[in-house]
Amino acid sequence: MPILGEFALWISLPVAVWGMVLGFAGGRSQRGDLVLSAERSIYAVFGLLAIAAAGVSAAFLGDRFEYWYVASYSNANLELFYKVTGLWAGQRGSLLFWALLLALFSSICVLTNRNRHREFMPYVAGVLQGILLFFIVVLLFADVNPFERLDFIPADGQGLNPQLQNYWMTIHPPTLYLGFTAFTIPFAFAVAALLNGRLDARWIQLTRRWILISWLFLSVGIVFGMRWAYEELGWGGYWFWDPVENASLLPWLTATAFLHSIQIQENRGMLKVWNMSLVLMTFLLTIFATFLTRSGLIESVHSFAQELKIAYIFLSFMGTVLAACVLLIVYRLPELRSENQIESFLSRESAFLFNNLLLLGAAFSVMWGTLFPLISEGITGQQISVGPPFFNKVNLPIGIVLLALVGIGPVIAWRRATKKNLQKNFTAPVAVGVATGVVLWVLGARHELALVTWSISAFVLTIISTEFWKGTRARARIEGEGYLLAFFHLVTRNRRRWGGYMVHVGFVMVCIAFAGAAYNTDSRFNVQPGDVVEVASPFGHAYQLTYEGLSMSIGRGQRNLLWQAIATVSVAQDGDPKGILTTEKRQYTNRDSQPMTEVGIRSIVREDLYLILSALNDTNGALNNEPGAQGIDLQVLIKPLVGWIWIGTFLLAIGTVIALWPSVDRRRMAAPSEGGGVEAAPAGAD
Amino acid sequence: MKKNPRFMVGLVGVAAVVTYLIWTGVSETMVYYVTPVELIEKVEADPTFHDVGVKVGGMVIRGSYRRVEGELLHVFTVRDLVEESATFVVEFRDALPDTFTDDIEVVLEGRLREDGVFEATTLLTKCGSRYEAAPEDLAGAPPHPTNAP
Repeated sequence: MPILGEFALWISLPVAVWGMVLGFAGGRSQRGDLVLSAERSIYAVFGLLAIAAAGVSAAFLGDRFEYWYVASYSNANLELFYKVTGLWAGQRGSLLFWALLLALFSSICVLTNRNRHREFMPYVAGVLQGILLFFIVVLLFADVNPFERLDFIPADGQGLNPQLQNYWMTIHPPTLYLGFTAFTIPFAFAVAALLNGRLDARWIQLTRRWILISWLFLSVGIVFGMRWAYEELGWGGYWFWDPVENASLLPWLTATAFLHSIQIQENRGMLKVWNMSLVLMTFLLTIFATFLTRSGLIESVHSFAQELKIAYIFLSFMGTVLAACVLLIVYRLPELRSENQIESFLSRESAFLFNNLLLLGAAFSVMWGTLFPLISEGITGQQISVGPPFFNKVNLPIGIVLLALVGIGPVIAWRRATKKNLQKNFTAPVAVGVATGVVLWVLGARHELALVTWSISAFVLTIISTEFWKGTRARARIEGEGYLLAFFHLVTRNRRRWGGYMVHVGFVMVCIAFAGAAYNTDSRFNVQPGDVVEVASPFGHAYQLTYEGLSMSIGRGQRNLLWQAIATVSVAQDGDPKGILTTEKRQYTNRDSQPMTEVGIRSIVREDLYLILSALNDTNGALNNEPGAQGIDLQVLIKPLVGWIWIGTFLLAIGTVIALWPSVDRRRMAAPSEGGGVEAAPAGAD
Repeated sequence: MKKNPRFMVGLVGVAAVVTYLIWTGVSETMVYYVTPVELIEKVEADPTFHDVGVKVGGMVIRGSYRRVEGELLHVFTVRDLVEESATFVVEFRDALPDTFTDDIEVVLEGRLREDGVFEATTLLTKCGSRYEAAPEDLAGAPPHPTNAP
């Protein structure tokens, strides 16, 4: 089976070339037979890449350690689950996985659009095949072939890094890749629009749902990564401004900007060049993110030379795409003129534009900070790096203004807001926001940025709930429905708008949770069995933690565990027993390293109690079950509001799904001139 | 295209504020990222460098790690990745990350004291994001992978 997979990967190369050439040729010559062949070649590439991926999986499941990739990420003892997910555990497999997902989405796109939108499809097929071709070339020629063989057969593999043996880590990369690859479809339609000259908002309407799907997976994928870091890395944080994290944030920022700015083009016929630039930028950033996360460019600058080949291939691809698209945009510039102008500073257009500018500013600062070591070395020969303080310093103010715009944007009038409009919509929310700040201050909150964030959050939530309330009440009156039914109809009849508001509410919750980090506490103790330590929560209550002792289990070789030290802690809140928590050290057999930490987390709505077994006082003694060797270093963190990140993200995901769900009303509104049958977005992807 | 002047002022204002934030952010938070060789050269050329915080990447020397009993203090020696003779002792007072071993590439932030000991405030291990191992280690001699087919 691996041999077959390898074979399929090689065959996909000429097929992709064929499809790309025919797509563009068919588009130019308007020859249906060429276009048909190009479209079918996409299905073929998907089939071939699926066989290749199956080949890699078969190599994992069959413990074929003669393959470099399998030997690096698996061993005979590895749990079946992690052998299955081995396909995307490392660079080589995940590049193949990326290509596979792109081929899947491309096939769905062709399948759902092939009988409509004929003017776009040839070029869309050509562009998609071109991008697939790039990944196939990388896989085959950049020393990252997952089917590369060692010239000896090791008895066993290296095994998977224990830190990657975590549920969230198995779903985090594929979710992000789904987001990255889904964005390729809007990009392909944008290029097709530039090529065929259909430069109105059509390409945006056709791909709006792909944009939302991409954004959904990007958002959720980033948060899965945060969740993994929070549970597994054992220091209680969820975001470290690590280059790899930043790389996934960059396309999210520009995609978010794009989602907002396309609404201006749809409603007012403005910002056409801007939208083209944003779709191009976001696409390039998805490629850049893959490149950065999977090439080790930033974190190992000194070993850059080893990765030179893949770096050159990626950089030349990005350069070519950039140059080609900029040329196309310049060529079409006269046709991309705005149909309208911004009339007033106080208007929805203007709020959306500021949103865009701030998101791009944030993206630029993240990019700058991430690449700063490279830039400074290039210019001064001296590497200078900036750390998390830089990113926080720049992005917290930007984030707070963006948060305020989340409230302002949706209710300020298009074109020109009147004084009356402003008074009517903003008086009460501003009052609620200020009142929230004052109340929190009186209650003892003194951290300025957190207070500002919570006040603005209250302002935004008031605006959105007022909107929901007004809509529901109006509907209940007009249609004579009960409030619950009216609310349901309100949302389902204009999913795009109300789904969007839900996304905003989710985002606000996440911001509220981020601000909670200002009140994190961190205490460290050295404890013996029976010791009780007390830790105060910023909410006023206190935890009494009793260290019950250590239980050792010497591994039976299962799950690659050598030994496991489990510290048991009884938790009481103001004297009330609240159960027990455990935190562990685990020593794995296949790593010549220090033991791994497993943390203990108790989540309640307000806060998380987070226990870390920092160190055993006497590891050898504990292994021999010596009674005097039960002392440990225990670190106790309290993380206020952290759970709201996950809750907010869930709401954000629900809102996005509502917004992208097909709706009869929207279909009619989207293109009244075209009559029936204009439903464009890919139903197959829902 | 004619633009509303107030609007342009707003746009320029936002751009200026973001630029200002980035500018001050960089100048307030930047640290030199050096190799042990460069660090040792720097402090010899300019002794005030003993007080400047730097980031330095090096290799922990195998067998040099010890934990000072009774306090949360880790001591080990780091060498340059290329120039193996350039070394210094590191003191680190915090919990070590799980990925730390006494044979790993680390990135330290802190300062090289005048007694030649590097006082580290943060410690990152370098394999962090890639989590890759070389399967060549599985065999006795380091063979080269063959490219197939």
